[in-house]
Amino acid sequence: MAAPLLELRELAKSFGGARALRGVDFDLHAGEVHALLGENGAGKSTLIKIVTGAHHPDRGTIRIAGETVVHLTPATAHALGIACIYQQPALFPDLTVTENIALRLDSDPPVRRINWKARRERARGLLARIGADISPEAEVRALSMPEQQLVEIACALGAGARIVIMDEPTASLTQKEQELLFAVVRELRASGVGVIYISHRLEEIFALADRVTVLRDGESVGTNAVSEIDEAALIRMMVGREMTQIYPPGEASPGDLVLALRNLGCAASGVHGVTLDVRAGEVFGLAGLVGAGRTELARILFGLTPADCGEILLNGRPVAPRSPLDAVALGIAYVPEDRRRHGVVLELPIAHNMTMAIHRQVFRGAWLRFGAERLLALEFIRDLAVKCPGPEAPGSSLSGGNQQKVSLARWLATKPRFLILDEPTQGVDVGAKSEIHKIIRRLAKEGLAVLLISSDLPEVLGMSDRIGIMRGGTLTVVLPGNADAHAVMSAALGQKP
Amino acid sequence: MLLLYVLVAEWLFFYWAGTTTNRRGVVVGFGTLDRQFDILRHSCEIGLLALALTPIILTAGIDLSVGSLLGLCAILFGKFWHDGGLSIPVAIALTLGCGALAGGLNAVLITALRLPPLIVTLGTFSLFRGLAEAITRGAITYTDFPASFLFLGQERWLGLPTQAWLFAGVAAAVWVLVHRMTFGRGFRAIGFSPEGARYAGLPVARRLALVYVLAGVISAMAAIIYTARLGQAKADAGTGYELFAITAVVLGGTSIFGGAGSVHGTLLGVAAIAVLRNGLACMPAVMRMNSAEEMAGLLTGALLLVALTASVLPQILSHYRSRPHPA
Ligand SMILES: Nc1ncnc2c1ncn2[C@@H]1O[C@H](COP(=O)(O)OP(=O)(O)OP(=O)(O)O)[C@@H](O)[C@H]1O
Ligand SMILES: [Mg+2]
Repeated sequence: MAAPLLELRELAKSFGGARALRGVDFDLHAGEVHALLGENGAGKSTLIKIVTGAHHPDRGTIRIAGETVVHLTPATAHALGIACIYQQPALFPDLTVTENIALRLDSDPPVRRINWKARRERARGLLARIGADISPEAEVRALSMPEQQLVEIACALGAGARIVIMDEPTASLTQKEQELLFAVVRELRASGVGVIYISHRLEEIFALADRVTVLRDGESVGTNAVSEIDEAALIRMMVGREMTQIYPPGEASPGDLVLALRNLGCAASGVHGVTLDVRAGEVFGLAGLVGAGRTELARILFGLTPADCGEILLNGRPVAPRSPLDAVALGIAYVPEDRRRHGVVLELPIAHNMTMAIHRQVFRGAWLRFGAERLLALEFIRDLAVKCPGPEAPGSSLSGGNQQKVSLARWLATKPRFLILDEPTQGVDVGAKSEIHKIIRRLAKEGLAVLLISSDLPEVLGMSDRIGIMRGGTLTVVLPGNADAHAVMSAALGQKP
Repeated sequence: MLLLYVLVAEWLFFYWAGTTTNRRGVVVGFGTLDRQFDILRHSCEIGLLALALTPIILTAGIDLSVGSLLGLCAILFGKFWHDGGLSIPVAIALTLGCGALAGGLNAVLITALRLPPLIVTLGTFSLFRGLAEAITRGAITYTDFPASFLFLGQERWLGLPTQAWLFAGVAAAVWVLVHRMTFGRGFRAIGFSPEGARYAGLPVARRLALVYVLAGVISAMAAIIYTARLGQAKADAGTGYELFAITAVVLGGTSIFGGAGSVHGTLLGVAAIAVLRNGLACMPAVMRMNSAEEMAGLLTGALLLVALTASVLPQILSHYRSRPHPA
């Protein structure tokens, strides 16, 4: 048998005192999809950042196609045919899609005529291959999170690499984009490319991967062929105990009307004619494709792009939030989809982030109370199982899933009347995810009304009391909570059931 | 912390090199109490401006107009008292009000029109100075202030130069605002990530308005003690002070990109610059060459560059050691 495409032996890496990896072995063969699984902070992203040359390991060896590589840098990794879709899109916001793709793929001599037409065509082709409806001339700043993720995927495809790494590529993609991505991954595998695939969605692992390696606390727990292992065993390997993935049951009889939208619209964000009711104790799920206007609707309700027609009634009273400040005062909370730009201020400590939206409640008279803040932060760190050295650690030192928990904690702390969750569990591991689901249910039972936007179809189906489908900027259908995946998908695609 | 050592070393050096005994056997120069008080007296105005700038720079903003506003407020104060026939306390109150209005102009342009602070305050930098010159037609100097007013700038109260008490009071207030109140949290969040602050429901526009209006009021205070120290109000008062103040803030460890920094750092920065400028003036070698001003400018610049390099050096070194990715 030929040498594996990639071989990692005894890889270790620490950040200050935190040991992210402690001697991990891993290998990847040509023509296989090797999934990497583990709880938040287990060391998955660290492992792949070492393979892409972004981090230098403290010890261990890296062999690529049988050759030992000593100093792997991003440039040599690129030259060796390694391409990566990072967990967080790392595109230049002020450049267009074409320019971003060109920056990734071409290394031009400093002076040369650039054939922009060819580059645009290539960008268009790559985007079409993954079924992304994005203009190559669009500025990245104007793209939503999932759209940026699609551009990242296009970049990795265009690189024509031997090793393609995907760190949670589907975290904010919906079913349709996911399936197109899966088709592309299978195509890559067939052509002899090795793919490392990271995801917290177990069903994806079973649909896509050949082998799976589980990491726990920076150590490899084991590598198995996917055909020889089941979900329960994987979860046990990951969290070290028995756990079932069941959604907590909903409330039988929702209470008073909390939020009512009447023909709501905003020309600037392309949302129009949305009419819906959410009652106390109810979780209203919003499904739809990327670009269907779900996040845009949330932004209207949170005052980020105020509505220009229609009505918002909160507890029967017409309201018009014109800024997040207004919305927070009204008791509306919004957990945004882009945690790095909007959900967490990465440079600030975890505790500051968690109290940022409740200054008035915790710090009466505007005086800081460090003790109270610390207690509050410790409570959330425990409840949400945030893996961190302490409440003083900056957000940037957390793994992606743990940052998401901090963003969630900030808004749970406001004790809102109406909570909008935009991809609340993106990048969150199975254990914490079911904790978060329980918390959402508990809050709903206490009378909170929840609008749940999620591209994770099982989550929407499992958590929602009713499911609204958005398409082309408006709410097209409302299905009962017990609708099946097929009904939701075909409604999202605009097909008659 | 590094700056504290620099300050102590600087002070000891000048104590050693700048203190002499004159022909009559009296100790003169840096090592005398009078000289130390002089340093304190001279650093109050720039110190106040640096205090005003600290919250602004924490929000990743800048205010270039504080020195010009000092000049304008000095002239307005002189005019209120001399031409307007108002009593000193009323004139002071009116001047502080004008400072707040001028800061409010910056605030409105920055928050309501969303213009970049650098451009807005570059404009008001010229505008305020131009107004001061227009009012005096470049010729009038207000003098003959009553002794009771000059007490504020030239005498001592409870053992210290009078204005040092005002400076200490403002420093304490700004420190509390930044380090012990939620306002400081807002400034930092805005400085690190304005979008993140907005999404968190923080009152971004109000916080920004606050820092610029506060800077206006503090600049007006600086104008009052400047006038009291020199006993005259002229249109060119405080020319170039904004740059010294910014230097002090940055030297004190506040990031010009916003978010990180402290008020006590700024105080150290102010002290480091003040000791340097005054100490040089006491050194016999420098006095002989009559080049204290030039030397001071040179060394302030060098100090700033060294301090900045020292603060990023550990990061750069660890960068090279672990060769990470730019992203
Ligand atoms: N720059 C950093 N500074 C300090 N600690 C870090 C840094 N990057 C990662 N860590 C720590 O290393 C550990 C592993 O992080 P890593 O990002 O690899 O986790 P992960 O498995 O990708 O988790 P997730 O599923 O949440 O993305 C975590 O405990 C994290 O806090
Ligand atoms: Mg990760």
